[in-house]
Formats: sequence, structure tokens, C-alpha cells
Amino acid sequence: MLYRTSTLLVATSILVVIALSSLVMPNQAQAIPAFARKYDVQCTACHTAPPVLNTFGQRFLENGYQLPGTEDGGTTGKKKLGDVTLDDVGKYLAFRLVGNAVRSWSFTQQNPAGTDTGVAQNKTELTFPENFTLFAGGTVMKNVGFMVELGHDVEGGGAEVERGFVSFNNLGAQDLAHVRIGKFDPSAFYSVVTIRQQLNEVKESLSSGCNTAYTPCSFNRVGLAPSAFATKFYGLYDRGGTPLSPFASSLYNSGGEIGLDVHGRPFGKAWLYQVGVVNGANEPFGDSNKGKDLYAMLRYDYAQSDYFSATLSGFVYHGNSNAKVQTQEDVNWHRYGVSGRATYQMLDLYAAYAVDRINHVPSGVSGAFDATATGLTIGADAYVTNETLLSLRYDNLDAGGILEQRKSATFIGLQAKQYLRTNVAIFVRNDVNVRKSEGGEAAARNLRNAFFAGIDIIF
Amino acid sequence: MRCQNLVCGLVLLLALGTSTVVQATKPEDTAATRAQGQVLFERTCLFCHGATGQGDGPAGWFLGRYASPRPRNFTAGSFKFRSTPSGDLPTDQDLFRTITKGIPGYMPSFASLSEAARWQIVAYVKSFYPGFRTETPVPLPLVGAPTPQLAESLDRGRALYTSFECHTCHGTEGRGDGPVTQAGELKDASGLQIQAADLTRPSSFKNGASLPDLVRTLLTGLDGTPMPSYAARLSDRETDAWDLAQYLRALSAESVP
Ligand code: HEC
Ligand code: HEC
Repeated sequence: MLYRTSTLLVATSILVVIALSSLVMPNQAQAIPAFARKYDVQCTACHTAPPVLNTFGQRFLENGYQLPGTEDGGTTGKKKLGDVTLDDVGKYLAFRLVGNAVRSWSFTQQNPAGTDTGVAQNKTELTFPENFTLFAGGTVMKNVGFMVELGHDVEGGGAEVERGFVSFNNLGAQDLAHVRIGKFDPSAFYSVVTIRQQLNEVKESLSSGCNTAYTPCSFNRVGLAPSAFATKFYGLYDRGGTPLSPFASSLYNSGGEIGLDVHGRPFGKAWLYQVGVVNGANEPFGDSNKGKDLYAMLRYDYAQSDYFSATLSGFVYHGNSNAKVQTQEDVNWHRYGVSGRATYQMLDLYAAYAVDRINHVPSGVSGAFDATATGLTIGADAYVTNETLLSLRYDNLDAGGILEQRKSATFIGLQAKQYLRTNVAIFVRNDVNVRKSEGGEAAARNLRNAFFAGIDIIF
Repeated sequence: MRCQNLVCGLVLLLALGTSTVVQATKPEDTAATRAQGQVLFERTCLFCHGATGQGDGPAGWFLGRYASPRPRNFTAGSFKFRSTPSGDLPTDQDLFRTITKGIPGYMPSFASLSEAARWQIVAYVKSFYPGFRTETPVPLPLVGAPTPQLAESLDRGRALYTSFECHTCHGTEGRGDGPVTQAGELKDASGLQIQAADLTRPSSFKNGASLPDLVRTLLTGLDGTPMPSYAARLSDRETDAWDLAQYLRALSAESVP
């Protein structure tokens, strides 16, 4: 307990010191992450607002961390591997420390069920830092790139390789085929990218007793994440029996799946294709995969002039025994999605819609299981001044799965982010439950309002 | 193709010593060259500079946001990094240098493109502004050389820094915090707010930080920004520009190569 309090104290004082020193220090010293250091440019050469990429940044990513139209992996800003000095390390390593210093939940107390039903509660917790990510990435030679992201989630505990892959680029001809192998985010080239959001994903809180395999599990509080990317079904389990959160990003929109994928632009500059094969949703190592999941994405880009860009994309994700229901029977869980994004000067508008389907509901749950679910996410980010970024997101989840548990949810989130320096921002965010007045004793109704205040540091 | 060390060394020396060898890879400015340049431009430069070269590419707004700089508008015929007098167009060599070295903070170096490819892009970039067809930009001569007596040179440089009133924009200690800058009065040619350079951080200099680079900046000015050309005032004494350049280097908080 004493230990806890002192960590909290240390964390808070670090936060205060950083915030204050950023205010006092002139804005000119720009400490910026690995790629920006490597190429000696500002973050905004590639990002509309980190971590969201602009068109130039997207092409840099597509090209395996090489400047668009080049194969500079062997040259620019780099020494031969083997004589990398301490100075160079900064060109490969970066970290991001992001977290809500304060999270404040307002909800109708529900759990344990039956006690104090209907009583409004407020709960405030100090949580900084929630998430720490260490990146190592770049190119090892011409047309060979790599990325490793080690994440430490303070709430969940433990560190984990969120993504770690190698890429082989410009195979055959320039932009014909780029291959990624390892644990990567399939949606990296989609119009709206799961791991590049201004409003960070907030995990749900489960009620206790959720750790026995294949037991139904209820929520204290819903998670806040883009509904189009979410699992959407209540009552699905991974192959090891752990319940899948209906709110967590999954399948094509997962933050990390193990497999191989190929993308390129052989049909002219405007069209991007992507095909891939992955182990499948939440497939743990060592489990006998019954099959592999397959996906294909096609994207159209308009990027010419007038500070304007637009993209449209659609994908099909075909699951193969990639989840189970409570009766431990396999299901094939598929997703079909479309998304679009347009940027004009300070404004970045995006939308994504997805339909999830489970083919052939197992007899054990048939009649009690809705096999279709949809999610809609619409959002906008806008720089209202050079240092202030406003973000708005609307999410609607028409949940599927076990009829008894499933509950649809609609949330609106608004965030204001103030950049103290190019790499340090503080933010406040508020999410409101649009359907809080609708009845139903469920987490999707009980959470009325969530407030966050936090800090985002990228180094 | 292998070569003996001595032969390679000689070729390298020649390449450094004369510009003709460098020019050897420079293709003729023909329609075919420009077409090849266009393909490269649209893969690489378009995202910032825009399909029509107006500096309004799809990613162009985010770099400076509401402030300077935006990617260069090639159709306006005004360039910052020249060896030519203020108001003139840059030489091909100037454009080639900018593309090769990049612009600290704002544009990556494209040294990874082959030399021939960079010349093709130069030809295409020039085609956005008709003036390049009629004018022949001539570099200002870099006369004189730095004085060996560093202490005296620095004293003279310091005096010039004051008498030329560099401090009004760049601040007494060169931190880019002069009164005019702090009042937010500095604007670039498109009316966007611009900061005077922090002279203590030469690695951020867009036009280079070597002594000849600094002399060039002082003589030519950076067109389209409040940074004026001092060619007229520095013409009296050849060494003045070098003294000022020496002093600028001494302001630095970094170790410069
Ligand atoms: C990440 C965005 C970006 C990319 C990509 C980019 N540029 Fe630039 N470029 C800029 C910016 C910003 C400026 C203006 C900088 C300033 O004014 O300080 C500029 C300026 C220039 C200039 C003007 C130099 C002068 O003397 O005024 C030239 C020439 C140029 N770029 C050529 C190119 C070429 C050729 C390419 C492609 C090989 C390219 N740029 C790619 C952002 C970019
Ligand atoms: C009216 C204001 C003003 C005055 C006076 C002025 N400068 Fe500047 N200077 C600027 C601005 C603005 C820039 C930045 C231009 C840019 O970033 O494109 C600059 C940039 C520079 C740079 C950096 C160039 C580069 O490569 O990035 C140097 C060096 C410099 N000035 C030196 C001087 C010296 C020496 C004097 C006096 C002889 C002087 N300046 C007078 C406004 C001024």
C-alpha cells in the first residue's frame, strides 16, 4: 500500500515536472522520434497529427520505411549496420508514453448485480502512465525494413510484443509487391487504421469470475473503441476458452495478428491492393489452428493538389474456425468492411462501417445467438490553432451474439489536445453514452459519462 | 567493374575538383528527360508539392500548419536557396543541391535517388515556371576567403552583426528571439507567420552551415522571407562577409563540422 502511494506520488510529480518544464522551455527544441530524427524532418512531414499518417507518411509506410519512390534503405541518414554509434541509436528507437492521469467514470452501479441498483456513482482514479510503448524500426538494408513495438499496459500488467515484423519491399518491380511477415496490424493500409486513432482505446472492465474457460462473463463497464473495428459479438471465446471482448479491435482490424501479407500498387498510382493470411483472431501460439484466416483489401486514392486527399477502401476477411461459442463448438467468423477518409487543410474526416457474420451457428446455441452484428464509426480531427487539435468520434455498435447478453451501444467522444511542444501534448476527453436513458440492466447502458485527462509524450 | 585503388582515387579527385565530371551524368533538358522527371516527381514530391507544383500537395498543409513554411510553389518562380542575386532564379546546381541535401525540418534528403534521377526531377521542376526557359541565372561570385586571424575576424563580425541590425530579428545572442520576431511581425511572401532562424543551431540551417554556405546566404538572402540579401552592403570589403560568417559559427552552441 505504501509502495502504491509512493509510485503514484512519483508518477504525479514526474507529470507535473514535465508539464511545467514544457511550458517554460521555448518551443524551438524539437525532440522527435526515430524516423523524424533519421530524416531530419518534423513529425508533421508524415503525420497529420501523430499517430495518424498523412498521404506522404502512408506511402513511406507502404514502402517499408523508405521514402516514397525510393529504395533508400541502404543509404539515407544511415551508416552500415555494424558501425552504428550511440548517436545512430536514436534513429532506430523511439518511445511513446501515453496515459490518462485521471479517469473519471460516472455510471449507474450495477455490480454486483442486485445491490444499489439505479444509484448514480462517480469514480475517479489516477492512472498515469497507462501505456508505455518502445519502438525499434527502420531498414536494415535496401528494401528490407523492420518494426518492433514493445508495449507495457499498466492496467493489464506485463510487457508484450504488440507488433514485430520484417518487410521485404519492391519485389519484382517498384511498388509491385511488398511483403510483411510477423506480427503486424492487418489494417495498416486501410483508410482508417486501428492503431492510429486520436481517441485512445479504453478497455472494458469485467466483473470478477471471468477467468474460468468458457464461462459466461459480464461487464462492469463497457470499453470505448471504434465500433467498426470491434468484435461486436457477446459470448465468443478464443480457442483457449478466454472470452473475447465485444469492444476490442479484432480480425482485419486487430492491432496485431501473426501471419504474412502482401500489398502493392501495380494497377497505377491510385489503386492499392492487399492480401494476407493470418493465424486468426487471438490465436495463441501452440494451439492447433484448424485453419488460417484470409483477407483481401482494395483501396482507391485521390491525392493530387489543393491540400486535399481522399481514399476509399473495402475488405473481405474470411475466418476459419477462428472462434468458439460457449458450447466449445467452432465458428467461422467473417467481416466485411468499407471505409473512407478525406483530409482538407486542417480537417481530417473519416468513417468506417463493418458487418460481422458468423456462418452456421452451432446447434448448441442456435436460437439464442444473433449471427450478424454491425459497427459504425465516424470521426473528425481538426487543428483549430497550430497547437490545438480537436477530435470527435461517433460510435454505434449493433451487437450480436448471445441474445441474453448482447446490448447495442452508442457513444460520442470529444477530445481537445494541446501540444506543449511538438512531442508533448496534454489532452482532455469526454465520452457520453447516447443511449443511457434507454432501459436495460447492462453495462452498455449503465456507463453514462467518462472523462479523461492525460498526457501523450513521444520521444 | 573493378578498378585499382589509385585509378579510383584519381577519378574521385577529379570529380571533386571540377564540375564537368559531375555534369557528365546531367541529362539534356529534353521533353523525354522532363517526362522521366515527372514520373519520379509524382511518386515522390507530389504529396507535398502538389501535382501542379503549386506547393499544395495532399500532405503539404500539415508541415507548417498555419505558419511558414509551406512546400514551395514552383509556379511562382521565387526560390530561397540560390547562389544567384536576390530576385533571380536559382541555377540547376542550386536546385540539385536542395533536392540532394533536403531542407532540415521540412524536406528529407533525396540523395538515395540516383544522380541522373535527381537531374531529371530538376528539369521537371523547372518546367512549372516559364521564366526558366528564358532566363540564364548566373551565380554571384564568392570572393575572398576567411581571415586566418580568428580573434580579429570575430571582433569585426560581431561589430557587423550589430551595425547590420541582425539582432532585431535574430536576437543579441542569436537565439532567433529578436524583438521583431517576438512581436510576431515577421511574415513570409504568402503572409504566413515565420520565425527568424535560431543562429545557435546551425544544424537547422536550411541553406547549409559551412562558411561558404553562410556567405552565400548573406549575399543572396532567402527570397520570399524577411531574411534580406546583404550583397550591396557587403560589397565594399571582401572579408566582411567571411568575418560575419565566422561570427555566426561562433554563436553556435553545437559543434559544427
Ligand atoms: C515532406 C514534404 C516534402 C517533400 C516530400 C518534398 N518537399 Fe520540397 N519542399 C518542402 C518544403 C516544406 C519546402 C519549403 C521549405 C522552406 O521554405 O523552408 C520545400 C522546398 C523545395 C524547393 C525549393 C527550394 C528553394 O530554393 O526555394 C525545391 C526545389 C523542392 N522543395 C524540391 C522538391 C523535390 C524535387 C522533391 C521530390 C524529390 C521534394 N521537394 C519533396 C517539402 C517537401
Ligand atoms: C527582418 C528580419 C531579419 C533580419 C534583419 C535578418 N534576418 Fe536572418 N533570417 C530571418 C528569417 C525570417 C530567417 C528564416 C528564413 C527561413 O526559415 O526560411 C532568417 C535566417 C537566417 C539564417 C539561416 C539561413 C538558413 O540557412 O536557414 C542566417 C544564418 C541568418 N538569417 C543570418 C542573418 C544575419 C547574419 C543577419 C544580419 C546581417 C540577418 N540574418 C538579418 C530574418 C532576418
